This record gives sequence, structure tokens and C-alpha cells, in this order.
Amino acid sequence: MRDKALRWRWELFLAVVLVAVFIVNINISEFYLGEQNFINMFQLSIEKVIVVVIMTFVIVNGEIDLSVASVMAFSACVLAALHQGGTVPFELAVVIALLAGTFAGALQGAFVAFMGLPSLVVTLAGLIGFRGAGRILVEDNSIGDFPEWFETLGQEPLIGRFSFALIFFLVLIVVAGIVLHRTAFGRSLFVIGNNANVARYSGVNVSRDKMMIMTASGFFAGLAGILFASRLGSVRGDLALGFELDIITMVLLGGVSIFGGSGTMVGVALAILIVLNIRNGLGLANIDQNTQTGVIGVLLILSVLVPNLVARLAGSLRVARTAERGPPAPGGPKEGGDTARQEADLRPTQG
Amino acid sequence: MSGLLSLRPERLRELSLFAVMAVAVFIFSLLIDNYIGGSFFNRVTTSVAITAVLAAGQTLVILTRNIDLSVGSIVGVTAYVTGEYLHNHPDLAPVLAVGYAVAIGAGLGLLNGVLVAYAKVPAIIVTLGTLAIYRTWLINHSDSRTITSDGLPDWVVELPNSTIVSFGDFDIRTVVAGSIALIVVLQLMLGGLKWGRWVYAVGSNPDAARQAALPVRRVILGVFVASGALAGLAGFLFLSRFGTITVNAGNGLELQSVAAAVVGGVNIFGGAGTLVGAFLGAVLINLLDQSLLRVPGLSEFWRDAVLGTLIITAVAVDFLLGKRLGRLSTSARGRRATGVPPPGQGASSDA
Amino acid sequence: MNPDGSLRKRRFEGGWRGIAWILAALMVALMLAAAGCGDDDDDEAPADSGGAADTSSGGAGGVVTPEPGQEFRSVFIPKQTGIAVFEQANNGAQEAARELQVDEPEFLGPSSPENCVSGQIDTVTNAGTQGVNGIMISNCAGDQVEPAARQAADAGATVVSWDSPIPSGEGESVFISQVDFDETGKVMADLALEILGEQGGEYAILSAAPDAANQNAWIKAHEEAIKDPKYSNLKLVDTVYGNDDSEKSYDEALGLVDKHPNLKLIMAPTTVGIAAAAKAMTDEGLCDKVKVSGLGLPDEMKEYTLSGCAPKFALWSFTDLGYLAFFTAYGIATDQVEAEEGAKFEAGRLGEMTIEKDPTRENGLRVLMGPFTVYDESNVEGG
Repeated sequence: MRDKALRWRWELFLAVVLVAVFIVNINISEFYLGEQNFINMFQLSIEKVIVVVIMTFVIVNGEIDLSVASVMAFSACVLAALHQGGTVPFELAVVIALLAGTFAGALQGAFVAFMGLPSLVVTLAGLIGFRGAGRILVEDNSIGDFPEWFETLGQEPLIGRFSFALIFFLVLIVVAGIVLHRTAFGRSLFVIGNNANVARYSGVNVSRDKMMIMTASGFFAGLAGILFASRLGSVRGDLALGFELDIITMVLLGGVSIFGGSGTMVGVALAILIVLNIRNGLGLANIDQNTQTGVIGVLLILSVLVPNLVARLAGSLRVARTAERGPPAPGGPKEGGDTARQEADLRPTQG
Repeated sequence: MSGLLSLRPERLRELSLFAVMAVAVFIFSLLIDNYIGGSFFNRVTTSVAITAVLAAGQTLVILTRNIDLSVGSIVGVTAYVTGEYLHNHPDLAPVLAVGYAVAIGAGLGLLNGVLVAYAKVPAIIVTLGTLAIYRTWLINHSDSRTITSDGLPDWVVELPNSTIVSFGDFDIRTVVAGSIALIVVLQLMLGGLKWGRWVYAVGSNPDAARQAALPVRRVILGVFVASGALAGLAGFLFLSRFGTITVNAGNGLELQSVAAAVVGGVNIFGGAGTLVGAFLGAVLINLLDQSLLRVPGLSEFWRDAVLGTLIITAVAVDFLLGKRLGRLSTSARGRRATGVPPPGQGASSDA
Repeated sequence: MNPDGSLRKRRFEGGWRGIAWILAALMVALMLAAAGCGDDDDDEAPADSGGAADTSSGGAGGVVTPEPGQEFRSVFIPKQTGIAVFEQANNGAQEAARELQVDEPEFLGPSSPENCVSGQIDTVTNAGTQGVNGIMISNCAGDQVEPAARQAADAGATVVSWDSPIPSGEGESVFISQVDFDETGKVMADLALEILGEQGGEYAILSAAPDAANQNAWIKAHEEAIKDPKYSNLKLVDTVYGNDDSEKSYDEALGLVDKHPNLKLIMAPTTVGIAAAAKAMTDEGLCDKVKVSGLGLPDEMKEYTLSGCAPKFALWSFTDLGYLAFFTAYGIATDQVEAEEGAKFEAGRLGEMTIEKDPTRENGLRVLMGPFTVYDESNVEGG
């Protein structure tokens, strides 16, 4: 299918960009090549990228979750408040905080899956509401002094130089890739994202699947929030403020279509590597964060623009060559792809 | 009741928004002293003016099945740059000053539009990218200077204060009247001009629109330019309202404008919704926000959680109400047209 | 099955996928291999301060004059880049660097308020990776920056905070305090007393973010200060947060006026808040009833002071603050100044400075820069 071929072209583009970033980074900073630096590169954003993995599922499914950063904060605040209260043993508090995140996801999922409200709207309310809920618990305090095992888990390496969170992420992304691409559940997510009605008539339980994904999103956001608390050593109401934009940027950069129904975990993995490397490499070269953000913005646009242009050029070359050869015999290969999505381009676009 | 049902769905949506607002006002008036009075009216109306203009632009974009996340950055850039220009040219005529801001906004919107309409890059990707790029440019350009109000001409600084007419304590301020007039004009154009119908057509079914030979790309380009221009106008209003402009100006306004549009009944999937609805959505959110600020005894820290809950409630209620009334209205119309009861509710269209 | 009905595998269908996989795997392998060959940070010795450490170390007694010209690579980290006050501080630091004949510091930091915490943690970590000699930070991340600061210190950097400390005192050598934080509370009380007069009245505080360590410290100190009977007629009725956002601060200011009809003063210990509150009062014609005060920049407040809306406010010199922070960091990093209680040193044009125990925190040392400047219509235009 042309669709698939073009998608791999996207990943090829990303891979090329990653190589380019790598080469640039080596040249602009002598501190880039270093095992500790590569570890740092991941550890500094590890909570974000854990959520990126789950956000991939959400967007492939045709939804979006703007509340992830707020749910991260909410979970962390629940943990902090319980810890400060002193009546609940810390381990139990962690479990409750995880449940809180899961609950947040489930609540929003119920609105989306069973009431049919658009996820953009529901999670926009969640973005505001759950951060507010966290604030109620923590107010203007910074709550810390967590048990030593908790802070060690977040701040010290577990195996070699890899921290618990980093190991968790590596395992997660592999498992997620398998689930997304090799299981029936994963395939049903694509189908739902493609066309929920068609999925429903094919017997897929759309509501249940959407509910599951949104709940999972809440669970992993909660987990990420707790891991963040352990790495930072304390919790404040502004934890993970504004992270949702970065997370969504990484998913979209990875080639996942915002309309649902297509995307690969490989692409997302490449996008994660690209963004982390850009921030790290430019940071080590003392290029300010403002510029880093701008570069990523340009890259995001180019990541769709370039493959589109290339496809257009390839298409027009093909048309020119076909015109030379004369009209194809009936039954020959047709332009236009499959009828299911009716797109002439990489993405369903408007206009 | 049948009179009610003979209204079009959009009118029903708008009425239900009014109903929600009325209920909110009633409840708050019980909680807050002097609530229903001139001073609160003035507070809400002046702060709504900026959001309303942005919500209008966002609605135009959303109607075509796109989104514009860069409006916050456009507001920041235009507010800052216009302030700078006025610093250096204090005798510039007001019309030209406003035109300057609008023109810059339109230019920034033009870039968005070209990338979306002609380069076929999805709107969310383009505007996430330009959100970052425009802000990066602003920070670089500003050289850390702040625009201060003492460098601005008097008429700019006094604009928020100027009133067209007063009914006792209730002022109709210039900026408020201007915004309302703008929305009304735009709504009339949208409803009456063929261009307006094209906007709806492109949003509800881009492929059909293309096949019907509508200038789809030009329509999309047009709405992004309009969104940018309106953001530029909002930037000017921002400048005059706050006087002191830093590089953070306009941060976060894009989410507010989307929230206002969706609360106002604009369908996030395109093709349905009105500017009037978006305006009411902006008013409702602002009303809730400003009211919560004034409830005695409601701690700072509870406000966001309550606001998030209220938004989701408003959307859910509005959605359900609209669905219920829409179904009744369709069946009522069906009965009137044929004189026979329609064959059951199962075939009714989804809202 | 292909669109044309054939079953033959299209050319290169799996090919692109394969290429992408191979490239990705190559990348990861390359990175790991390069990491193995690359210089590990642990092997990097922190750049040694070459100069003779012959100066009498600070203890009770000798005042050290830091010798210029020693190796000193440093990073100057604001709460946000692109904001005037932090630019001023950076200018001060650069001035100090020129005077000390060393490299100017790298000015790096978060580019937006939301990103402050992770942006600063990233910058401090990267600075540690580069093995810089000095990190000067206006901390917005509270204790959350501590692990990164400690890591950088272990790599040999001297960490000095200015404007806003690391609350626990861990991870930093010393905090350059622009003014005494407890004093700030008293200055705010004095301003209130002067503006409200003997008969006192109701007033409220409009602060920045609820997590802002310096504002919170000042507000706490202020609440303590007004317990003094001198201020018994001052009634603090509310504290609200404007998040250093113009719109929010503006709305909160008007909200205060609506909630408390007898409000006579809004005290805003944040330059964004005070400017927004002043504009709000001016716009609504409330300046006669409600005055505005707090900490403000003369440039931004000029108009409101001359109009009488903000008759008096206070601040300090951010330029001097950055200058002093640089001198202190340089002195400690080059082992010429001991980071311990009682150490004294010459900080260029600011004269003699002393490192002392910070009375406003449980742990931590500080260098106290100096007094406030109070602005009113007589000096606001020069400021």
C-alpha cells in the first residue's frame, strides 16, 4: 500500500535527521560523547518519554490526552499529601497515588467512551481540573523528605548507570511496540482510529477499547508523576507544568497521524532520540533553550513538509514517466491508493 | 415547546449556553455580595474582549477542521512589536496603529495557512511549530527589554477605560462594543456570504468540497490569515490593557481560545458551530473564572479544580441537551413535513 | 494483495522498513560505542585553578582580595531568559568578569515560566557535564534542583545562588542575598504604614507563583513583622497569586478590590504584579481609593508613581546582585575565599563583603548585598 511505503519514508527521514543531529552534536561540543552524558540525556526527561509511549496509543486510537502533565502532578500531589499526613504507610501511599492517576484517566475516559464527548474537550478540562486538584492537596508547599529507598530509586542508578526509570522505559517501549503492532488489540486501535464507525460495525468494542486506553493513559501519567517525585526529591503544585506540549510534539514528530489510525513505535522512538539529542547537544554547546525550542519547532514542520514534497516530486516524476509511456493497460497499477482512506498524500489533510 | 423545536440546532445550542449562564449567575449571586452590579459586569466584559476576539479567529479555523495553536505567540509578537513601534512613532494615527498589529498578525497567519493549505502539513503540526518559532523569534528580538506603558501614547493606555455609553454603573466600553460589533459582522458574513458557506462545507466534508470544485485551499488559507489577523487585533488589545509587555505576553491564550470555542458549541471535527456560540463560550468561561475569584472563602487553590469541573459540566450538559433537543426537533420537523410520525428514533442523526 | 490484484511483493515494500530499522539500530550501537570511547566525565578532572592560592583564607580576620586572571569558566542561570531584571543581573556578572579578567559567564536558562524547573535542572546538569568552575543560579526549582546541583558540585563546580536560594542550603556554597529576607517583610510593612498612615486600614498581598521561594519567604517575614504593635492598625486581609502573569495579576488585583470593599492598598512583592495592579487600578479609576506598592522596577512604575497610584515602592540593584554573585563564585571557586561563616572578601566596587550564617533559613550561608532603595516621585525617574 502506498500509505505504508510513504510512512517508512517518514521513518527514513527521521533516521537521517538523527544521524545529522548526532554529527552536529559531536562537532559542537566535546562533552557530548560520554556514557554519563547519554544516560543524563535520557534521565533528565525520562518521565516525559514514558508518557510519550502511552500517548502514542492514545493518538493512534484517534483521541488525544491534554491532561497528562496535570495527572502527573495530581498523582505526585496525592503521594505528597498522604506522606505529609503521616497516617498512611509510604508504600500504600504510592499505590493510592497510582490509583489516583488511573482514576483520573478513567474518569475522562468515561466521558469520551460512553458519552461520546470529544477527547480534546474533556482532557482540556482535565488539564485545568486535575492540576487544580493537585493544588488543593499541596497548596503552596514543597513537600519532600521521602523515605530513602524512594529517593534512591529516582536519583541513583539501579543497574550499571541505568536508573530504575530508564530501565522501565526501555522495557516499556519494547513491550508497547509489540502490543501496538503485533497484537489484535493493537490492530483494533488502528482500526478504531481510522474510522470508529467501521470498527464498531466490524465487531470491535470501541467504547471498551477507548475506555481502556484513556485509563491506561491516566495510569502511566500517574506512574510518571511518582517517578518524577522520586527523582526531584520533592513535590510542588507546578510539577510537570506544560509538559503536554513537548509530549505531543514528540509523538507527532514520530509520524503518528493526529487523526488516528497510523503511526509506528519505531517512528516515535526515533523522534524521542532526536528531540533528546537536540536538547542535550545544543545545551552542551551552550546554545540557549529558546533556540533549542525554535529548532524543534522547525524540525516538527519539516518532518512532514519534506516527505510531502519528496512524495509530490516522486509522484510528478512518475506521472511524467507514465505520460511518456502512454496510458496503462486496463488492470494495471492504479494511482490513488485504497478506498478506505481516500488520501493522495501521506496524511489526510484538508484542502 | 414546538416553537423551540423549530429552531435550528445551533440556535438551540446558543440558547442552552444562555441557560447555563443564567443558572451560574443566579447561583453566584447568592454567594457573592453585589454580584449583579455594574462593577462586575464591567470586569467580565473588559476581560472577555480579548478572549472573544481570539475565540472568533479560532472558530473560523476549527470550522474548517483545523486548529490554530499559535495564536498565543501571535498575540505576544504583535503586542510587543506594536508597542515598540508606538514607542518610536508616538504620533501614529490610531487606525494605523491597529492596522499595523492586524497586518503583522495576518502575515504570521499567512505562513500558517500556506503550510496547511498548500504544503499539506496538518494544522496541529504547523501551529505547534509556529507556536515555538514565533515565541523564539520574539525572545531573540526583544533583547530582554520590556515595553512599558509610559512609552505608549495616551490613547492606547486609556483605551480600556473609555466608554461609549453608560447605563448607571453598567458601562459599555469601547473595546467591548468593538469586539461585539466585530463578532456580529463576522457572523453575518459567515452566514450570508458564499465564502462563509464554503468554510462550513470544507469543514464538514473536505473531499466533497474539493469534488464540488470549491477553492478549498484558498478557503483554508483565508481562515488562517483571518485567525492571525484577529490574533493581531487581540495583541493590540492586550497591549492597551496591560501596558507592560514582556516576552511572556500571550502565553497560554491558545488553550483559552480553543476552550471558549468548544464550550460555545463549535464542533472540534469541523463543519458546525457559530461565532456567536464561541463568543458565548468565551463569556461563560470568563464569567466562571471571574466569579470564582470573588467567592468569599473559596481558597485560591480550589479555583482551578472547580473551573475544570464547571467546564466539563457545561460541555456535557450542553452536548446532551443539544442532542436531546436536536433529536426532538428533527422528529418534530419530520412530523410536520409529512404529517406522519417518523419511523422511530433509531435513524436520527448523531449530534 | 496489491491494489492491482497481484500478489507479488512490491519492490522495496519491506525495504524501506528494513532500512529504517537498520539505521535506528546502527544509531543506538554507534552511540553506545562512541560513549565507550568518549571521555567519561568521571575521568575529567575539574579545571584546576592555576593561580597561587596564597591569599590569607577568610577566617575571622583577613579580608581577601580575589586575585584576577585565574581560570574560571562559569554559567549564569536566571529564572528566565528574556526578562529585563535578569538581563541586568547578567550585565553585572559580565562587568565583574571583565574586572576580574576572566571569561564572561554563559547566560543560559529556561525560556518560559512553565519550563523553569526542568529547564534549570537541565542547565545545571549540562554545566556539570562540561566541568565548569562556577554555577550562579537564581533558583526557581526549590529543593528540586538539589540533586543536580550536588552532582555538579561533585564534578568540581562551585554553586552559588543569588536572588532566590536553594531552601535547604544543600548543594550550594552560599546564597547572595540582595537584601535580608526578613528585612523585606519589614520594608513591606513600613511601606504599608507610610501609605496607609496612622489610621491604618485593610490591605492585601498580590504575590507571584505560589511556589516562588523568595516571595513566600518575604510574605512569611512580613506576617511576622506586622505583629509588632507599631503596625497594629494594618489589617492584612488576603494573599493572592498572580503567577507573574500580567493577565492573571491584573484580574487578581481587581478581584481583591471587589472582594474587600474597604481595601486601601495592594502590596505586590513582584515586579510583574505591581505593574499589573497599578494598571488595573488606573484603568478602573480606583487610584484614589486603592494604592499600590511593593517591589517594582522604576522604569515600569514611573508613570504610576508620578500619577500617585503607586506613591512608594522599593527594589534593589539587580546589576549589583549579579556583580556580587560573580565575585563570590570566582573567589570560592579559585579557593581564595572560604565558603564558611566569617569569611570576608573585597567584592570590587561593592567593597567588603562577609559570608555569614543565613538567619532566614535553617541551613545555609549568605552574603548580604545591601539595603533597599525606596522609590517615590523624587527619584523614580532617575532609577
